Amino acid sequence: MTVAAPTRPGVTFSRVLAAEWTKLLSVRSTLWTVVGTILAAASLAFALGMFVRPDSGQSGSSLIVSGYLLAQLGTLVLGVMVGTGEYSVGTFRVTFTAVPRRLPVLLAQALITAVVALATAVGALLASFLVTVGQRGAGGLTVDLTDGATVRVLVDYVCFLVGVAVVGLGIGALLRRPTAALVTGVLVLVVFDHLLAVNPGRVTDTVRALLPGSGARLTMDDATLTALDATTLGPQLGPWGGGVVLGLWAVGLLIAAGYRLRRHDLA
Amino acid sequence: MIEVESLTKRYGTVRAVDELSFTAHSGAVTGFLGPNGAGKSTTMRVVVGLERPTSGTATVDGRRYADLAAPLHAVGVMLDARSVHPGRTAFRHLLAQARTHGISRKRVDEVIGMTGLESVAGRRAGTFSLGMGQRLGIAGALLGDPGTLILDEPVNGLDPDGVLWVRRLVRELADEGRTVLLSSHLMHELALCADRVVIIGKGRLLADAPVQEIIDRSTGAASLEDAYLQLTADSVQYRGRSADDSATTPTAGSTR
Ligand SMILES: Nc1ncnc2c1ncn2[C@@H]1O[C@H](COP(=O)(O)OP(=O)(O)OP(=O)(O)O)[C@@H](O)[C@H]1O
Ligand SMILES: [Mg+2]
Repeated sequence: MTVAAPTRPGVTFSRVLAAEWTKLLSVRSTLWTVVGTILAAASLAFALGMFVRPDSGQSGSSLIVSGYLLAQLGTLVLGVMVGTGEYSVGTFRVTFTAVPRRLPVLLAQALITAVVALATAVGALLASFLVTVGQRGAGGLTVDLTDGATVRVLVDYVCFLVGVAVVGLGIGALLRRPTAALVTGVLVLVVFDHLLAVNPGRVTDTVRALLPGSGARLTMDDATLTALDATTLGPQLGPWGGGVVLGLWAVGLLIAAGYRLRRHDLA
Repeated sequence: MIEVESLTKRYGTVRAVDELSFTAHSGAVTGFLGPNGAGKSTTMRVVVGLERPTSGTATVDGRRYADLAAPLHAVGVMLDARSVHPGRTAFRHLLAQARTHGISRKRVDEVIGMTGLESVAGRRAGTFSLGMGQRLGIAGALLGDPGTLILDEPVNGLDPDGVLWVRRLVRELADEGRTVLLSSHLMHELALCADRVVIIGKGRLLADAPVQEIIDRSTGAASLEDAYLQLTADSVQYRGRSADDSATTPTAGSTR
Protein backbone atom coordinates (compact mmCIF):
# COMPACT_ATOMS: atom_id res chain seq x y z
CA MET A 1 0.00 0.00 0.00
CA THR A 2 1.37 3.40 -0.91
CA VAL A 3 0.74 6.25 1.47
CA ALA A 4 1.19 9.44 -0.48
CA ALA A 5 1.90 12.84 0.94
CA PRO A 6 -1.45 14.59 1.42
CA THR A 7 -0.62 17.24 -1.13
CA ARG A 8 0.24 14.90 -3.99
CA PRO A 9 -2.74 14.80 -6.29
CA GLY A 10 -3.92 11.58 -7.80
CA VAL A 11 -5.41 8.21 -7.12
CA THR A 12 -3.59 5.89 -4.72
CA PHE A 13 -4.73 2.60 -3.31
CA SER A 14 -5.04 3.97 0.21
CA ARG A 15 -7.26 6.77 -1.09
CA VAL A 16 -9.48 4.32 -2.93
CA LEU A 17 -9.69 2.34 0.30
CA ALA A 18 -10.71 5.48 2.22
CA ALA A 19 -13.36 6.27 -0.41
CA GLU A 20 -14.85 2.77 -0.29
CA TRP A 21 -14.86 2.91 3.48
CA THR A 22 -16.76 6.20 3.39
CA LYS A 23 -19.28 4.72 0.99
CA LEU A 24 -19.91 1.57 3.02
CA LEU A 25 -20.31 3.43 6.31
CA SER A 26 -22.57 6.10 4.85
CA VAL A 27 -25.51 3.84 4.04
CA ARG A 28 -27.71 2.45 6.79
CA SER A 29 -28.14 -0.95 5.16
CA THR A 30 -24.57 -1.82 6.18
CA LEU A 31 -25.30 -1.33 9.87
CA TRP A 32 -28.58 -3.21 9.62
CA THR A 33 -26.91 -6.15 7.91
CA VAL A 34 -24.22 -6.34 10.58
CA VAL A 35 -26.70 -6.07 13.46
CA GLY A 36 -29.14 -8.46 11.78
CA THR A 37 -26.42 -11.06 11.24
CA ILE A 38 -25.31 -10.93 14.87
CA LEU A 39 -28.88 -11.18 16.14
CA ALA A 40 -29.73 -14.04 13.77
CA ALA A 41 -26.62 -16.00 14.73
CA ALA A 42 -27.18 -15.58 18.46
CA SER A 43 -30.92 -16.32 18.23
CA LEU A 44 -30.36 -19.54 16.33
CA ALA A 45 -27.63 -20.66 18.74
CA PHE A 46 -29.98 -19.92 21.62
CA ALA A 47 -32.88 -21.75 19.97
CA LEU A 48 -30.75 -24.83 19.30
CA GLY A 49 -29.42 -24.58 22.84
CA MET A 50 -32.89 -25.31 24.14
CA PHE A 51 -32.60 -28.84 22.82
CA VAL A 52 -29.30 -29.60 24.53
CA ARG A 53 -29.57 -32.70 26.70
CA PRO A 54 -27.20 -33.40 29.56
CA ASP A 55 -24.63 -36.07 28.75
CA SER A 56 -25.24 -35.71 25.01
CA GLY A 57 -21.50 -35.57 24.47
CA GLN A 58 -21.87 -32.37 22.44
CA SER A 59 -19.08 -29.84 22.77
CA GLY A 60 -19.73 -26.34 24.06
CA SER A 61 -18.04 -24.72 21.07
CA SER A 62 -20.29 -26.56 18.62
CA LEU A 63 -23.32 -24.98 20.29
CA ILE A 64 -21.80 -21.49 20.12
CA VAL A 65 -21.11 -21.77 16.38
CA SER A 66 -24.41 -23.48 15.56
CA GLY A 67 -25.85 -20.10 14.46
CA TYR A 68 -23.64 -20.25 11.37
CA LEU A 69 -26.61 -21.48 9.32
CA LEU A 70 -28.17 -18.02 9.49
CA ALA A 71 -24.97 -16.03 10.00
CA GLN A 72 -23.63 -17.19 6.63
CA LEU A 73 -26.68 -15.66 4.94
CA GLY A 74 -25.92 -12.37 6.71
CA THR A 75 -22.34 -12.05 5.55
CA LEU A 76 -23.35 -13.34 2.11
CA VAL A 77 -25.81 -10.43 1.90
CA LEU A 78 -23.08 -8.03 3.06
CA GLY A 79 -20.74 -9.16 0.27
CA VAL A 80 -23.47 -9.15 -2.38
CA MET A 81 -24.49 -5.64 -1.32
CA VAL A 82 -20.98 -4.29 -1.71
CA GLY A 83 -20.45 -6.16 -4.97
CA THR A 84 -23.69 -5.12 -6.68
CA GLY A 85 -24.49 -1.81 -4.97
CA GLU A 86 -22.68 0.37 -7.46
CA TYR A 87 -24.52 -1.20 -10.38
CA SER A 88 -28.00 -1.27 -8.91
CA VAL A 89 -28.00 2.46 -8.17
CA GLY A 90 -25.74 3.63 -11.01
CA THR A 91 -22.91 5.07 -8.90
CA PHE A 92 -20.45 2.92 -10.82
CA ARG A 93 -20.17 5.73 -13.37
CA VAL A 94 -19.03 8.15 -10.70
CA THR A 95 -16.74 5.58 -9.09
CA PHE A 96 -15.01 4.42 -12.24
CA THR A 97 -14.55 7.85 -13.77
CA ALA A 98 -12.71 8.74 -10.55
CA VAL A 99 -10.69 5.48 -10.63
CA PRO A 100 -10.44 4.52 -14.31
CA ARG A 101 -8.00 1.69 -13.58
CA ARG A 102 -10.97 0.00 -11.90
CA LEU A 103 -9.20 -2.94 -10.22
CA PRO A 104 -8.16 -0.97 -7.10
CA VAL A 105 -11.87 -0.43 -6.41
CA LEU A 106 -12.61 -4.16 -6.46
CA LEU A 107 -9.59 -4.90 -4.30
CA ALA A 108 -10.56 -2.18 -1.82
CA GLN A 109 -14.11 -3.53 -1.69
CA ALA A 110 -12.79 -7.02 -1.01
CA LEU A 111 -10.62 -5.79 1.87
CA ILE A 112 -13.37 -3.69 3.39
CA THR A 113 -15.93 -6.45 3.06
CA ALA A 114 -13.53 -8.83 4.78
CA VAL A 115 -12.91 -6.38 7.62
CA VAL A 116 -16.61 -5.68 8.21
CA ALA A 117 -17.40 -9.40 7.96
CA LEU A 118 -14.64 -10.12 10.48
CA ALA A 119 -16.11 -7.63 12.94
CA THR A 120 -19.57 -9.06 12.33
CA ALA A 121 -18.39 -12.64 12.84
CA VAL A 122 -16.57 -11.79 16.07
CA GLY A 123 -19.70 -9.99 17.25
CA ALA A 124 -21.83 -13.00 16.36
CA LEU A 125 -19.42 -15.30 18.17
CA LEU A 126 -19.46 -13.20 21.34
CA ALA A 127 -23.23 -12.80 21.28
CA SER A 128 -23.71 -16.54 20.74
CA PHE A 129 -21.27 -17.26 23.53
CA LEU A 130 -23.15 -15.02 25.93
CA VAL A 131 -26.71 -16.10 25.14
CA THR A 132 -25.84 -19.78 25.54
CA VAL A 133 -24.01 -19.48 28.89
CA GLY A 134 -26.94 -20.77 30.91
CA GLN A 135 -27.77 -23.58 28.52
CA ARG A 136 -24.17 -24.79 28.46
CA GLY A 137 -24.08 -24.74 32.24
CA ALA A 138 -27.29 -26.75 32.52
CA GLY A 139 -26.25 -29.25 29.86
CA GLY A 140 -22.72 -29.65 31.18
CA LEU A 141 -21.13 -28.36 27.96
CA THR A 142 -17.75 -26.85 28.60
CA VAL A 143 -15.77 -24.39 26.54
CA ASP A 144 -12.08 -24.78 27.29
CA LEU A 145 -10.14 -21.97 25.61
CA THR A 146 -6.85 -23.73 26.31
CA ASP A 147 -8.00 -26.64 24.18
CA GLY A 148 -6.67 -26.41 20.61
CA ALA A 149 -9.66 -28.15 19.03
CA THR A 150 -12.11 -25.78 20.72
CA VAL A 151 -10.19 -22.69 19.67
CA ARG A 152 -9.94 -24.04 16.12
CA VAL A 153 -13.71 -24.26 15.79
CA LEU A 154 -14.23 -20.75 17.17
CA VAL A 155 -11.57 -19.19 14.95
CA ASP A 156 -12.71 -21.15 11.92
CA TYR A 157 -16.28 -19.96 12.42
CA VAL A 158 -14.99 -16.42 11.96
CA CYS A 159 -12.88 -17.45 8.95
CA PHE A 160 -15.88 -19.15 7.37
CA LEU A 161 -18.11 -16.10 7.68
CA VAL A 162 -15.39 -13.83 6.25
CA GLY A 163 -14.87 -16.27 3.37
CA VAL A 164 -18.60 -16.32 2.62
CA ALA A 165 -18.67 -12.50 2.54
CA VAL A 166 -15.85 -12.39 0.00
CA VAL A 167 -17.55 -15.09 -2.08
CA GLY A 168 -20.71 -12.93 -1.98
CA LEU A 169 -18.72 -9.93 -3.12
CA GLY A 170 -17.21 -11.93 -5.96
CA ILE A 171 -20.57 -13.26 -7.15
CA GLY A 172 -22.08 -9.78 -6.82
CA ALA A 173 -19.30 -8.04 -8.73
CA LEU A 174 -19.46 -10.72 -11.40
CA LEU A 175 -23.24 -10.77 -11.90
CA ARG A 176 -23.91 -7.10 -10.98
CA ARG A 177 -27.54 -7.89 -10.09
CA PRO A 178 -28.40 -8.17 -6.40
CA THR A 179 -31.20 -10.71 -6.70
CA ALA A 180 -29.37 -12.97 -9.13
CA ALA A 181 -26.23 -12.78 -7.01
CA LEU A 182 -28.05 -13.56 -3.78
CA VAL A 183 -29.89 -16.51 -5.28
CA THR A 184 -26.67 -17.86 -6.78
CA GLY A 185 -24.91 -17.45 -3.46
CA VAL A 186 -27.59 -19.34 -1.55
CA LEU A 187 -27.60 -22.10 -4.18
CA VAL A 188 -23.87 -22.75 -4.12
CA LEU A 189 -23.52 -22.33 -0.36
CA VAL A 190 -26.56 -24.17 0.93
CA VAL A 191 -29.08 -25.59 -1.51
CA PHE A 192 -26.90 -27.66 -3.86
CA ASP A 193 -25.19 -29.24 -0.88
CA HIS A 194 -28.50 -30.36 0.58
CA LEU A 195 -29.84 -31.60 -2.76
CA LEU A 196 -26.70 -33.60 -3.46
CA ALA A 197 -26.67 -35.04 0.05
CA VAL A 198 -29.91 -36.86 -0.78
CA ASN A 199 -28.08 -39.06 -3.24
CA PRO A 200 -24.63 -39.99 -1.90
CA GLY A 201 -22.11 -41.38 -4.32
CA ARG A 202 -18.63 -40.79 -5.68
CA VAL A 203 -19.68 -38.00 -8.02
CA THR A 204 -22.16 -36.20 -5.77
CA ASP A 205 -19.85 -36.35 -2.76
CA THR A 206 -16.98 -35.00 -4.82
CA VAL A 207 -19.10 -32.13 -6.12
CA ARG A 208 -20.28 -31.36 -2.60
CA ALA A 209 -16.70 -31.22 -1.40
CA LEU A 210 -15.76 -28.80 -4.16
CA LEU A 211 -18.68 -26.38 -3.72
CA PRO A 212 -18.12 -23.25 -1.60
CA GLY A 213 -20.64 -24.72 0.84
CA SER A 214 -18.01 -27.20 2.00
CA GLY A 215 -16.51 -24.20 3.82
CA ALA A 216 -19.17 -24.88 6.44
CA ARG A 217 -16.93 -27.74 7.60
CA LEU A 218 -14.89 -25.05 9.28
CA THR A 219 -17.65 -24.72 11.87
CA MET A 220 -17.67 -28.43 12.75
CA ASP A 221 -15.73 -30.01 15.56
CA ASP A 222 -13.15 -32.71 15.02
CA ALA A 223 -15.47 -35.60 15.87
CA THR A 224 -18.07 -34.52 13.33
CA LEU A 225 -15.44 -34.03 10.64
CA THR A 226 -13.93 -37.44 11.26
CA ALA A 227 -17.38 -38.99 10.97
CA LEU A 228 -18.03 -37.11 7.73
CA ASP A 229 -14.70 -38.08 6.20
CA ALA A 230 -15.30 -41.72 7.16
CA THR A 231 -18.59 -41.91 5.26
CA THR A 232 -17.84 -39.74 2.21
CA LEU A 233 -17.21 -41.37 -1.14
CA GLY A 234 -15.50 -38.20 -2.38
CA PRO A 235 -12.28 -36.56 -1.19
CA GLN A 236 -11.63 -36.43 2.56
CA LEU A 237 -11.10 -32.78 3.40
CA GLY A 238 -9.97 -33.01 7.03
CA PRO A 239 -10.29 -29.96 9.27
CA TRP A 240 -8.84 -27.43 6.80
CA GLY A 241 -9.88 -28.70 3.39
CA GLY A 242 -13.28 -27.01 3.44
CA GLY A 243 -11.64 -23.68 4.23
CA VAL A 244 -9.20 -24.10 1.38
CA VAL A 245 -12.07 -24.82 -1.03
CA LEU A 246 -13.95 -21.73 0.16
CA GLY A 247 -10.81 -19.60 -0.10
CA LEU A 248 -10.14 -20.79 -3.64
CA TRP A 249 -13.70 -19.92 -4.61
CA ALA A 250 -13.31 -16.46 -3.12
CA VAL A 251 -10.09 -15.84 -5.01
CA GLY A 252 -11.39 -17.38 -8.22
CA LEU A 253 -14.57 -15.32 -8.17
CA LEU A 254 -12.61 -12.13 -7.51
CA ILE A 255 -10.33 -12.90 -10.45
CA ALA A 256 -13.34 -13.53 -12.70
CA ALA A 257 -15.02 -10.32 -11.51
CA GLY A 258 -11.77 -8.42 -12.02
CA TYR A 259 -11.50 -9.79 -15.54
CA ARG A 260 -15.02 -8.68 -16.38
CA LEU A 261 -14.45 -5.27 -14.81
CA ARG A 262 -11.16 -4.70 -16.59
CA ARG A 263 -11.98 -6.07 -20.02
CA HIS A 264 -15.56 -5.08 -20.60
CA ASP A 265 -17.64 -1.94 -20.95
CA LEU A 266 -19.34 -0.42 -17.96
CA ALA A 267 -22.82 0.33 -19.18
CA MET B 1 -8.83 19.90 -25.17
CA ILE B 2 -10.91 16.89 -26.10
CA GLU B 3 -10.05 15.17 -29.37
CA VAL B 4 -12.32 12.55 -30.86
CA GLU B 5 -10.93 10.85 -33.97
CA SER B 6 -12.79 8.47 -36.30
CA LEU B 7 -14.61 7.16 -33.27
CA THR B 8 -16.94 4.23 -33.83
CA LYS B 9 -18.91 2.45 -31.14
CA ARG B 10 -21.05 -0.52 -32.07
CA TYR B 11 -23.52 -2.37 -29.85
CA GLY B 12 -24.20 -5.58 -31.68
CA THR B 13 -25.48 -4.36 -35.01
CA VAL B 14 -26.28 -0.82 -33.83
CA ARG B 15 -23.69 1.78 -34.75
CA ALA B 16 -24.25 4.22 -31.90
CA VAL B 17 -21.27 6.33 -32.97
CA ASP B 18 -20.03 6.15 -36.53
CA GLU B 19 -16.62 7.47 -37.63
CA LEU B 20 -17.09 10.60 -35.54
CA SER B 21 -14.33 13.19 -35.40
CA PHE B 22 -14.37 16.56 -33.64
CA THR B 23 -12.33 18.64 -31.25
CA ALA B 24 -13.50 20.59 -28.21
CA HIS B 25 -10.94 23.35 -27.70
CA SER B 26 -9.75 24.87 -24.47
CA GLY B 27 -11.11 28.28 -23.64
CA ALA B 28 -14.39 27.51 -25.35
CA VAL B 29 -17.79 26.05 -24.60
CA THR B 30 -18.57 23.36 -27.16
CA GLY B 31 -22.25 22.48 -27.46
CA PHE B 32 -22.92 18.84 -28.35
CA LEU B 33 -26.24 18.42 -30.16
CA GLY B 34 -28.24 15.75 -31.86
CA PRO B 35 -31.62 14.02 -31.77
CA ASN B 36 -32.46 11.37 -29.16
CA GLY B 37 -30.30 8.33 -29.74
CA ALA B 38 -27.80 10.24 -31.87
CA GLY B 39 -24.87 8.99 -29.79
CA LYS B 40 -23.99 11.97 -27.60
CA SER B 41 -23.99 10.15 -24.28
CA THR B 42 -22.23 7.17 -25.86
CA THR B 43 -19.46 9.43 -27.15
CA MET B 44 -19.05 10.95 -23.69
CA ARG B 45 -18.91 7.53 -22.02
CA VAL B 46 -16.17 6.47 -24.42
CA VAL B 47 -14.22 9.70 -23.83
CA VAL B 48 -14.18 9.09 -20.06
CA GLY B 49 -13.16 5.48 -20.45
CA LEU B 50 -16.31 3.76 -19.21
CA GLU B 51 -16.62 2.09 -22.59
CA ARG B 52 -14.08 1.09 -25.21
CA PRO B 53 -14.33 2.37 -28.74
CA THR B 54 -14.94 -0.26 -31.40
CA SER B 55 -12.40 1.73 -33.40
CA GLY B 56 -10.93 5.19 -33.37
CA THR B 57 -9.62 7.20 -30.42
CA ALA B 58 -10.72 9.73 -27.88
CA THR B 59 -8.23 11.74 -25.83
CA VAL B 60 -8.22 14.54 -23.26
CA ASP B 61 -5.21 16.85 -23.51
CA GLY B 62 -3.58 14.25 -25.72
CA ARG B 63 -3.96 11.35 -23.28
CA ARG B 64 -6.39 8.50 -23.00
CA TYR B 65 -8.68 9.10 -20.02
CA ALA B 66 -7.77 5.72 -18.52
CA ASP B 67 -4.11 6.77 -18.44
CA LEU B 68 -4.72 9.87 -16.32
CA ALA B 69 -3.14 9.64 -12.86
CA ALA B 70 -5.54 12.17 -11.34
CA PRO B 71 -8.65 12.11 -13.52
CA LEU B 72 -10.79 14.28 -11.25
CA HIS B 73 -8.25 17.08 -11.48
CA ALA B 74 -8.08 16.76 -15.25
CA VAL B 75 -11.70 16.13 -16.21
CA GLY B 76 -14.95 16.90 -14.41
CA VAL B 77 -17.69 14.55 -15.52
CA MET B 78 -21.44 14.57 -15.10
CA LEU B 79 -23.09 11.88 -17.17
CA ASP B 80 -26.23 11.00 -15.30
CA ALA B 81 -27.58 12.95 -12.35
CA ARG B 82 -29.20 9.75 -11.08
CA SER B 83 -25.81 8.24 -10.28
CA VAL B 84 -26.28 8.62 -6.54
CA HIS B 85 -27.05 6.09 -3.83
CA PRO B 86 -30.47 7.15 -2.54
CA GLY B 87 -29.50 6.34 1.04
CA ARG B 88 -26.30 8.37 1.09
CA THR B 89 -26.22 12.05 1.96
CA ALA B 90 -25.06 14.54 -0.65
CA PHE B 91 -22.05 15.38 1.48
CA ARG B 92 -20.97 11.76 1.89
CA HIS B 93 -21.50 11.12 -1.81
CA LEU B 94 -19.12 13.95 -2.68
CA LEU B 95 -16.73 13.08 0.13
CA ALA B 96 -16.33 9.50 -1.14
CA GLN B 97 -15.58 10.87 -4.59
CA ALA B 98 -13.11 13.41 -3.16
CA ARG B 99 -11.28 10.80 -1.10
CA THR B 100 -10.17 8.85 -4.17
CA HIS B 101 -7.92 11.84 -4.93
CA GLY B 102 -7.19 13.04 -1.40
CA ILE B 103 -9.31 16.13 -2.02
CA SER B 104 -10.12 17.96 1.23
CA ARG B 105 -13.45 18.29 3.03
CA LYS B 106 -13.04 22.02 2.60
CA ARG B 107 -13.26 21.60 -1.15
CA VAL B 108 -16.33 19.40 -0.76
CA ASP B 109 -17.99 22.18 1.25
CA GLU B 110 -16.89 24.65 -1.41
CA VAL B 111 -18.57 22.85 -4.30
CA ILE B 112 -21.66 22.34 -2.16
CA GLY B 113 -21.69 26.10 -1.69
CA MET B 114 -21.10 26.76 -5.39
CA THR B 115 -24.10 24.62 -6.34
CA GLY B 116 -26.30 26.10 -3.61
CA LEU B 117 -26.89 22.80 -1.82
CA GLU B 118 -25.72 23.88 1.69
CA SER B 119 -29.11 23.47 3.29
CA VAL B 120 -29.60 19.90 2.01
CA ALA B 121 -26.01 18.58 2.08
CA GLY B 122 -26.86 16.38 5.06
CA ARG B 123 -29.98 14.94 3.50
CA ARG B 124 -30.19 11.57 1.79
CA ALA B 125 -29.92 11.99 -1.97
CA GLY B 126 -32.95 9.77 -2.51
CA THR B 127 -35.12 12.62 -1.25
CA PHE B 128 -33.76 15.07 -3.82
CA SER B 129 -35.78 16.58 -6.65
CA LEU B 130 -34.56 16.27 -10.24
CA GLY B 131 -32.89 19.67 -10.15
CA MET B 132 -31.26 19.08 -6.77
CA GLY B 133 -29.80 15.82 -8.06
CA GLN B 134 -28.57 17.65 -11.13
CA ARG B 135 -26.82 20.22 -8.94
CA LEU B 136 -25.21 17.41 -6.96
CA GLY B 137 -23.91 15.92 -10.21
CA ILE B 138 -22.46 19.27 -11.24
CA ALA B 139 -20.88 19.64 -7.78
CA GLY B 140 -19.14 16.30 -8.33
CA ALA B 141 -17.81 17.46 -11.69
CA LEU B 142 -16.34 20.60 -10.10
CA LEU B 143 -14.66 18.78 -7.17
CA GLY B 144 -11.19 18.46 -8.64
CA ASP B 145 -11.16 21.96 -10.15
CA PRO B 146 -10.58 20.31 -13.52
CA GLY B 147 -9.28 21.84 -16.73
CA THR B 148 -11.91 20.02 -18.78
CA LEU B 149 -15.61 19.55 -18.12
CA ILE B 150 -17.88 17.00 -19.76
CA LEU B 151 -21.52 17.60 -18.90
CA ASP B 152 -24.37 15.54 -20.31
CA GLU B 153 -27.54 17.65 -20.31
CA PRO B 154 -26.54 19.68 -17.25
CA VAL B 155 -29.53 22.03 -17.33
CA ASN B 156 -32.06 19.21 -17.64
CA GLY B 157 -34.48 19.72 -14.76
CA LEU B 158 -32.99 22.96 -13.47
CA ASP B 159 -35.22 25.90 -12.62
CA PRO B 160 -34.72 29.14 -14.60
CA ASP B 161 -32.38 30.43 -11.93
CA GLY B 162 -30.35 27.23 -12.18
CA VAL B 163 -30.23 27.41 -15.97
CA LEU B 164 -28.88 30.94 -15.76
CA TRP B 165 -26.36 29.82 -13.16
CA VAL B 166 -25.07 26.97 -15.37
CA ARG B 167 -24.86 29.35 -18.35
CA ARG B 168 -22.72 31.78 -16.34
CA LEU B 169 -20.68 29.00 -14.77
CA VAL B 170 -19.65 27.34 -18.03
CA ARG B 171 -18.88 30.76 -19.57
CA GLU B 172 -16.65 31.62 -16.61
CA LEU B 173 -14.91 28.26 -16.75
CA ALA B 174 -14.24 28.60 -20.47
CA ASP B 175 -13.05 32.18 -20.04
CA GLU B 176 -10.52 30.88 -17.51
CA GLY B 177 -9.12 28.76 -20.33
CA ARG B 178 -10.87 25.47 -19.56
CA THR B 179 -12.48 23.12 -22.03
CA VAL B 180 -16.23 22.63 -21.70
CA LEU B 181 -18.16 20.01 -23.67
CA LEU B 182 -21.85 20.10 -22.90
CA SER B 183 -24.77 18.33 -24.49
CA SER B 184 -28.23 19.77 -24.50
CA HIS B 185 -31.52 19.81 -26.36
CA LEU B 186 -32.19 23.43 -25.44
CA MET B 187 -31.21 25.41 -28.53
CA HIS B 188 -31.90 28.82 -27.09
CA GLU B 189 -29.75 28.00 -24.13
CA LEU B 190 -26.87 26.78 -26.26
CA ALA B 191 -27.11 29.77 -28.57
CA LEU B 192 -26.51 31.88 -25.47
CA CYS B 193 -23.59 30.03 -23.92
CA ALA B 194 -21.79 27.97 -26.57
CA ASP B 195 -18.97 29.25 -28.76
CA ARG B 196 -19.17 26.34 -31.08
CA VAL B 197 -21.53 23.47 -31.68
CA VAL B 198 -20.96 19.93 -32.84
CA ILE B 199 -24.14 18.41 -34.27
CA ILE B 200 -24.45 14.66 -34.78
CA GLY B 201 -27.20 12.44 -36.12
CA LYS B 202 -27.28 8.61 -36.11
CA GLY B 203 -23.73 8.67 -34.76
CA ARG B 204 -22.34 10.70 -37.66
CA LEU B 205 -21.04 14.25 -37.71
CA LEU B 206 -23.49 16.69 -39.32
CA ALA B 207 -21.90 20.02 -38.48
CA ASP B 208 -19.00 21.40 -36.45
CA ALA B 209 -18.74 25.18 -36.50
CA PRO B 210 -19.19 28.39 -34.48
CA VAL B 211 -22.84 29.06 -33.62
CA GLN B 212 -23.19 32.07 -35.93
CA GLU B 213 -21.63 30.22 -38.84
CA ILE B 214 -24.11 27.35 -38.46
CA ILE B 215 -27.01 29.79 -38.58
CA ASP B 216 -25.58 31.72 -41.54
CA ARG B 217 -24.90 28.59 -43.57
CA SER B 218 -28.45 27.28 -43.33
CA THR B 219 -30.84 28.76 -45.84
CA GLY B 220 -33.43 30.98 -44.26
CA ALA B 221 -32.50 30.04 -40.70
CA ALA B 222 -32.96 32.83 -38.19
CA SER B 223 -31.87 30.91 -35.11
CA LEU B 224 -29.75 27.99 -34.01
CA GLU B 225 -32.97 26.04 -33.59
CA ASP B 226 -33.98 26.56 -37.23
CA ALA B 227 -30.54 25.58 -38.44
CA TYR B 228 -30.47 22.53 -36.17
CA LEU B 229 -33.87 21.32 -37.36
CA GLN B 230 -32.79 21.63 -40.98
CA LEU B 231 -29.48 19.84 -40.38
CA THR B 232 -30.99 16.95 -38.44
CA ALA B 233 -34.20 16.54 -40.47
CA ASP B 234 -32.99 13.27 -42.01
CA SER B 235 -31.41 11.93 -38.82
CA VAL B 236 -34.32 11.99 -36.40
CA GLN B 237 -35.01 8.39 -35.40
CA TYR B 238 -37.80 8.86 -32.90
CA ARG B 239 -40.47 11.28 -34.03
CA GLY B 240 -43.67 11.95 -32.16
CA ARG B 241 -46.95 12.24 -34.00
CA SER B 242 -50.05 14.21 -33.21
CA ALA B 243 -52.83 12.26 -31.54
CA ASP B 244 -54.93 12.43 -34.75
CA ASP B 245 -52.17 10.99 -36.92
CA SER B 246 -51.56 8.05 -34.63
CA ALA B 247 -55.25 7.23 -34.55
CA THR B 248 -55.50 7.07 -38.35
CA THR B 249 -52.28 5.13 -38.88
CA PRO B 250 -52.52 2.24 -36.46
CA THR B 251 -49.24 0.43 -35.71
CA ALA B 252 -47.34 1.93 -38.60
CA GLY B 253 -44.32 0.18 -37.14
CA SER B 254 -40.73 1.22 -37.30
CA THR B 255 -39.64 3.34 -40.25
CA ARG B 256 -36.16 1.94 -40.05
N1 LIG C 1 -25.43 -0.18 -23.56
C1 LIG C 1 -26.05 -0.09 -24.75
N2 LIG C 1 -26.40 -1.22 -25.40
C2 LIG C 1 -27.02 -1.16 -26.60
N3 LIG C 1 -27.33 -0.04 -27.24
C3 LIG C 1 -27.00 1.12 -26.65
C4 LIG C 1 -26.35 1.16 -25.37
N4 LIG C 1 -26.15 2.45 -25.04
C5 LIG C 1 -26.65 3.18 -26.05
N5 LIG C 1 -27.16 2.39 -27.02
C6 LIG C 1 -27.76 2.86 -28.28
O1 LIG C 1 -26.87 3.77 -28.86
C7 LIG C 1 -27.57 4.81 -29.49
C8 LIG C 1 -27.08 6.15 -28.98
O2 LIG C 1 -27.51 6.35 -27.65
P1 LIG C 1 -27.07 7.61 -26.79
O3 LIG C 1 -27.58 7.41 -25.42
O4 LIG C 1 -25.63 7.85 -26.96
O5 LIG C 1 -27.89 8.79 -27.49
P2 LIG C 1 -27.99 10.32 -27.07
O6 LIG C 1 -27.51 11.11 -28.21
O7 LIG C 1 -27.33 10.54 -25.77
O8 LIG C 1 -29.57 10.48 -26.92
P3 LIG C 1 -30.43 11.41 -25.92
O9 LIG C 1 -30.49 12.74 -26.54
O10 LIG C 1 -31.77 10.73 -25.93
O11 LIG C 1 -29.77 11.37 -24.59
C9 LIG C 1 -29.04 4.54 -29.24
O12 LIG C 1 -29.56 3.89 -30.37
C10 LIG C 1 -29.03 3.62 -28.06
O13 LIG C 1 -30.14 2.76 -28.09
MG1 LIG D 1 -27.99 11.09 -23.83
